[in-house]
Amino acid sequence: MGNLIDPTNTELYALVLKDAPYVIVAYAVLWVALVAYVTVILRRMLKLNREIEVLSEVVDSKAQAGE
Amino acid sequence: MPDTDGAAKGVGSVKRQLQVAIILAIVGGVLTTAAFLMAFTTARVQTFGTIDAPAAVETTYPPAPAAMQPTDGTGVRYQRPWLSQKIFYFHVPIAEASFLVFTLAAIFAVLFLVKRKQSYDTRSRIGMETTLVFTIGTMITGVMWTRASWLTNWSQLGREMLSEPRLATYTIMLVFVIAYFVLRNSVEDPERRAVYSAVFTIIAWIDAPISFFITRMVPSNHPIVFQSGMDTTNLIPFIIAQIGMLMLGYAIYALRVAEESSRDTLTVLKEQLEG
Repeated sequence: MGNLIDPTNTELYALVLKDAPYVIVAYAVLWVALVAYVTVILRRMLKLNREIEVLSEVVDSKAQAGE
Repeated sequence: MPDTDGAAKGVGSVKRQLQVAIILAIVGGVLTTAAFLMAFTTARVQTFGTIDAPAAVETTYPPAPAAMQPTDGTGVRYQRPWLSQKIFYFHVPIAEASFLVFTLAAIFAVLFLVKRKQSYDTRSRIGMETTLVFTIGTMITGVMWTRASWLTNWSQLGREMLSEPRLATYTIMLVFVIAYFVLRNSVEDPERRAVYSAVFTIIAWIDAPISFFITRMVPSNHPIVFQSGMDTTNLIPFIIAQIGMLMLGYAIYALRVAEESSRDTLTVLKEQLEG
């Protein structure tokens, strides 16, 4: 196959790519953490809202029955 | 007859809070994503150090200026592309967002001590919780920067975090935020817990401006962003990332406030049913 990439180019790419894992980890951890946190909050909110709707209906029907 | 007006108002208020939070989260998400894409496409590649190649290379990447070339005429010197500099586009905005939510927590702590309203204590606690998330984000991106750009080994990292002024003061901030939750969980009486937490938040917050300004006051390895100037192609994604991340920071805080309000509404409804 020989050298498909010029050896000096390989050296240049290697020097740049040495930093790549750190850049990828920095962005990936941030995105995963923020998206996961927002998703957890939204799921909890949806569950709470469902409970509120059910209880509101019960409270309203009790109030109407009491009038 | 049970008073359903209070609960209904609570539901309406929560819906408005939730709408604002979701809109801010979407806009913040779009802006930070746009900044991320620009940082890797339109932003000019920054350089850090040099690399010597034995001969000129067929590449669009230009060699270093003539004044920097080897004087003995051997090989060609290139400026080293600084990929880890890309971390900066998110590291700085997330640090700013941590200062923003920490300041919100301190403002509500002061309001609680003045007015003694429980909702201010809740908002202050949520502010501290959001600060914890953003501080951890800043620390992780900062560690990646330190490893890649300062070439600090894992074994040297602890020493660097205690000796470098910005890192030390920011680490202290993280410790304070963790200590806040330890304090909260160790006091059982709700009134005393809220007072101690508010006082602790205000004292802990003093570290935030110290951490921000320390690199301007004492010698530090940490870059001082607003003094060093920036190329327009780098400045635009940086500003977009800052606006987006501040929006995301506030959106997360507002989402948690809406969640706590929903929890309060649920408690009111349960009390009405039991009463």
